[in-house]
Amino acid sequence: MPDPKKPKADFSDVESGSSSTAPEAPPPAAERTYTVVKGDSLSKIAKRYYGDAQQWRRIYEANRDQIKDPDLIHPGQTFRIPD
Amino acid sequence: MHPHGRRFFALALGVAALTAACKKDAPPPQDQAAAPGAAAPAFTVSAVELGSRVGPDKRVTAATTSFTPRDTIYVSVATEGSAPSTTLSARWTYEDGQVVQADSQTIAPTGPATTEFHIAKPSGWPAGKYKVEVAVDGRPVETRDFEVKR
Repeated sequence: MPDPKKPKADFSDVESGSSSTAPEAPPPAAERTYTVVKGDSLSKIAKRYYGDAQQWRRIYEANRDQIKDPDLIHPGQTFRIPD
Repeated sequence: MHPHGRRFFALALGVAALTAACKKDAPPPQDQAAAPGAAAPAFTVSAVELGSRVGPDKRVTAATTSFTPRDTIYVSVATEGSAPSTTLSARWTYEDGQVVQADSQTIAPTGPATTEFHIAKPSGWPAGKYKVEVAVDGRPVETRDFEVKR
């Protein structure tokens, strides 16, 4: 049981580190996002990221939570761009 | 049947029987568990050791559970198995429950490996009892107690 009268130890200057003989795991791939600007459409964004406007459905499916109508997206919306 | 024919027939039967016997004694197929592509062993912690020094292989070279205030304190975690990504962590606590330090290392082991965590305190460790808890992906797997003496 710690002594309540004992002053609290100060560990603010503790230095630490770690290393391993195992290779470090690659960091998880950063999720790509895109913020809609005026004049954008899902096809346009798909063309930009996939080189194929027909891939618009991938972006639509990944962002169903915020796209009600795929023909109606709004400037300022930020969409996840799946790989 | 011609006598030569009977002899030939008997010989043929004998050869067939011998062949069958040989086939019966043929060695069993190779152990499938050792076949290439078999599932890799699961990742596990095989040993945890405290000490005041580690070698280039990250193993403790001076094992102890009693340290001086100026020591760097190492915990070496030996693991087996492989994992595409797993996070080993060490959480160091003092006797009053204070968290001294918590560190983690995310690794992609392909076989036996050793990972070390260390802490140092330039102004000197307060004397007392400490504990280090080693966890894999946030799940505690081992704890070790140690002491700092003046």
